[in-house]
Amino acid sequence: MKKKLKHILIHIILITICIFFLVPIIYTISVSLKSSNTLLSSDFKIIPDDATLDNYRIMLFEKPFFTWFKNSLLLTLSTVMFAMTIALPTAYAYTRMKFKGKSLSLFALLLLNAFPSILAMVAIYRLFKTFSMMNSYGGLIVVYTGGMIIFSIWNLKGYFESIPVDVEQAAMIDGANNFTIIIKIILPLARPAIIVTGMMIFITTWNEYIYAVNFLTDINKYTLAAGLYSLQGTDYTRNWPVFAAGSILTSIPTLIIFFGIQRYLVSGLTAGGVKY
Amino acid sequence: MRTKFKLILRPYIYIGPAWLIIGLIVFFPILYTVIISFTNMNIWHWLDYSFVGFKNYTKAFTDLDSGFLNALFRTVLWTVINLVIQIILALIISLLLNVKGLKGKGLYKTLMMLPWAMPSYISALIWKHGMFQNDFGLLNQLLRKLGLEGIGWLNGNVAAFLSCLMVNLWMALPYMILMFYGGLQGIDNVYYESAEMEGANTWNKIISITVPILKPLVMPAIIMTTFITFKQFDIIYLMTMQAGSKTGANIHTVITYAYENAFITNNYGYSSSLSVIIFAIIVILTVINLKSLRKGDV
Repeated sequence: MKKKLKHILIHIILITICIFFLVPIIYTISVSLKSSNTLLSSDFKIIPDDATLDNYRIMLFEKPFFTWFKNSLLLTLSTVMFAMTIALPTAYAYTRMKFKGKSLSLFALLLLNAFPSILAMVAIYRLFKTFSMMNSYGGLIVVYTGGMIIFSIWNLKGYFESIPVDVEQAAMIDGANNFTIIIKIILPLARPAIIVTGMMIFITTWNEYIYAVNFLTDINKYTLAAGLYSLQGTDYTRNWPVFAAGSILTSIPTLIIFFGIQRYLVSGLTAGGVKY
Repeated sequence: MRTKFKLILRPYIYIGPAWLIIGLIVFFPILYTVIISFTNMNIWHWLDYSFVGFKNYTKAFTDLDSGFLNALFRTVLWTVINLVIQIILALIISLLLNVKGLKGKGLYKTLMMLPWAMPSYISALIWKHGMFQNDFGLLNQLLRKLGLEGIGWLNGNVAAFLSCLMVNLWMALPYMILMFYGGLQGIDNVYYESAEMEGANTWNKIISITVPILKPLVMPAIIMTTFITFKQFDIIYLMTMQAGSKTGANIHTVITYAYENAFITNNYGYSSSLSVIIFAIIVILTVINLKSLRKGDV
């Protein structure tokens, strides 16, 4: 009996916390269904009386939503591929190989990672101007890769270290070379870390807006994040329901990914916690 | 002979591309920022800037009107308050989630993950426009329903600081809870059972078993969150000081302050000196952190 009471109390606390976490999201969904002239109406129904999908229609068809979506996808997938291709061999080398300057360069990685990438914008801006790389996805892909690469190396390295070296040595005796070992043994064993690292790069790039709005000047080149950011102008009273609809639409891909990799999150992330 | 040469060279071929990118996008901008920090570069002196020595640095530290020292103090306060609340709440919530035989754990965990999965700029903006907005924001609507006056959530310095704190908790707690919960899974039940036999109550068990075992397991997550909180930009910038929709509150942290000086007032030289100072602070914290990790006394 006492135990049952305790459980009920715990449920009440946990439900309260969940409400705190959920209310802003539910309210945003609710606003996205409102017609703009009923914003001030004082009913608190989750689905408003005059619920309309009009805001979604405006977002999807009157704004260049699909162009932005395509741009985001292109930019994000390219960044994930590029960053992973570069980070995987690096993390492998730092885990398994001995070479001069190894610990020094690892230390340098940690220190360099301390520089907030947003503060590097002036320098990168000038660099891009000089080499006329403004408005180019190639430039942004390199910038995003640079921003995520150190995290990726550390996270992968942390996981690689937990893979026993015996398996590789056995393969080496069988005559496999390093490349084969990485492809056939390391990649399958490190699956959780590779999935989580790749998805973290995906989510971060998908959500990046500061570099995108400053480095892309052509609105048709905008990513979803940049486009959505530019939508919430000063006159947000009128745009807010449309913005809410856009927020929901933009968040859906990240939400799907996030919950898709949920079961890998703890093992794929803590294992790579900064150990030195 | 050739194979030996290959063996020495191979690691560098593996790490080469990564270091090329890091050199270009991470190292070069830092170096360049250091150089700019000694110049008077701004919108009028974009190309014909000149070197001014340590002028920008002295301005940051001695000119009280410049606002940098205030921002620095506020950033430290922001980080400490956030971390203390997050650690306490994450511990409590993860312990509650970990109670034996509790139903619906999976559902609670999934629902609590939602804010973490939301894009952070969207979170900041839906809080700003949806929750805190003065006229039609949910919080003020609720207050009016209760017959109270609406509050200017983002207008005063203190109110805006607390509102931003709430949003940061909303965004950052899920990760902490998940990491704490993951850590709790690693504690063997044997410890608790033997403590119970010695007559320990729940509080004793938490203090003398859970916390000491959990500490090393969650330390990486706490340290990472400390740096992220220190560098937090989206929440404070988007909620209170977006160009064109400033709310009147002045709650600059060092990052938003440096950003504003670079991209709003275009004072690149001064802003770069701030970036260098911030970088130096974070580097010092990182080195202290590494030293303590190596000693193993975390």
